[in-house]
Amino acid sequence: MELKVYCDRMSQPSRAILIFCKANNAEFEEITVEIGKGQHRTPEFAEVNPMKQVPAVIHGDFKLFESHAILIYLASTIPGVADHWYPADVRERAKVHSVLDWHHTNLRRGSELRCVSRKGLAMVVESHVYRFGYLFNTVFAVVFGMPGDPKAAAEGEKLLSASLARIESLWLQGGPFLLGNSKPTIADLALACEVTQLEVADQNGHDRIMKPHTKIVKWIKDVKSATAPHFEEIHAAIRSAREPLKKLKAQAAHKSE
Amino acid sequence: MTLTVFADRMSQPSRAIIIFCKVNGIDFEEVRIDLAKRQQLTPQFQEITPMKKVPAIVDGRFKLFESHAILIYLACSFPGIADHWYPADLFLRAKIHSVLDWHHSNLRSGAAGYVLNSTLGPALGLPLNPEAAAKSEKLLSASLGKIESFWLKGRGRFLLGSTQPSIADLSLVCEIMQLELVDEKDRERILGPHKRVMKWVADTKNATSPHFDQVHSVLLKLKEKLQSERAVGETSQNVLPSKL
Repeated sequence: MELKVYCDRMSQPSRAILIFCKANNAEFEEITVEIGKGQHRTPEFAEVNPMKQVPAVIHGDFKLFESHAILIYLASTIPGVADHWYPADVRERAKVHSVLDWHHTNLRRGSELRCVSRKGLAMVVESHVYRFGYLFNTVFAVVFGMPGDPKAAAEGEKLLSASLARIESLWLQGGPFLLGNSKPTIADLALACEVTQLEVADQNGHDRIMKPHTKIVKWIKDVKSATAPHFEEIHAAIRSAREPLKKLKAQAAHKSE
Repeated sequence: MTLTVFADRMSQPSRAIIIFCKVNGIDFEEVRIDLAKRQQLTPQFQEITPMKKVPAIVDGRFKLFESHAILIYLACSFPGIADHWYPADLFLRAKIHSVLDWHHSNLRSGAAGYVLNSTLGPALGLPLNPEAAAKSEKLLSASLGKIESFWLKGRGRFLLGSTQPSIADLSLVCEIMQLELVDEKDRERILGPHKRVMKWVADTKNATSPHFDQVHSVLLKLKEKLQSERAVGETSQNVLPSKL
């Protein structure tokens, strides 16, 4: 059965799926849907995913979206995937689901920012990462022509840091990978690709945020080596995006002067 | 080895788990963690889950949090649970995961944000925020529209065109039930245009009767209380101008 992966390497869940496929020698076709060009909003892509988001897959005539669901599906259907990626044991599997669900409302809370006030959220849910919050106000706001709000960026950074610390204290205990495992699961891949999105920010910002989180830094390195050379290769896109982003940022700063 | 469910029936994912256990005859002990009294923040509860949130379960020595993960775990590890709740078929299962993941960042986000910012905030020590409520309502309405046009488009009565409910139906319907708390006219404005959604809520209720109504009785009691408070508020508002 033919597998098509619709994705944009600039999107963190897209990268997780590409790396998973490559690390597990899946035969697939990568179809780039450029978010920057609005290609996810075309009627053709709505046929693939009515939610108009990447990633999405078509396997034979089976269509699926939502990256965690896709990772689980691929781990269960690609031949020869090692058990550690998505363990058959019900309890081990439950823990992987738990991390992935946590990821939705914490590390990946971006969409929530749209609808609940920052203050309200900060008070209600005691920790979240707002990685999206930080990046939005430092980098993407410039690209999409919106004024970046330094105060919001600082707040986002604080919450991001708190969440990284939480991953360290909760999930990275007792082994190199999440849940104290000796080998990575799909949850490692999903969360690691989220954290690496920070590399789009400028080097100083990235280094400042990551510095206190030595466990996270080591974990990312371990995920990288466990999936080498694919992790580095798939992430090349976000690194090459840095320079043009820097230029845009400088231009925007110039304009606002 | 008994199953312990730590829950507050005011929380929608807590209710989904309690209903699932009752419908499927799972033997369990319900331990109430009263959110209004901030019992989720106690050190004892932190031993159960470091996230300080309900629901959470302990099964023997196994601890688990996150409601979707719990529903899947229960469906897989207790005997005699009908396949339709969490099908063994990989394709059906993948579709259920897709609905549940979508729920996190769409319906849940919209509904919980709306209820919190329009109604429930003060009870949790937060101010009402009409601007945030309006934003949440937009996401909520868009989500209800997607449920209707995409997830409920099949021939069956339930999500994904199924003829019987899955854990996704239970999880999403309990979320929508939270809207019982908001002002009647607001609820009508939001849910009114989505007749198919309302029918599906009723179908899910019937399929899990009588447990659905029993577990929701706490929520409906609060609804009545809020309603009478609103009525009093309106009367005093009407009286006010003449006093001035």
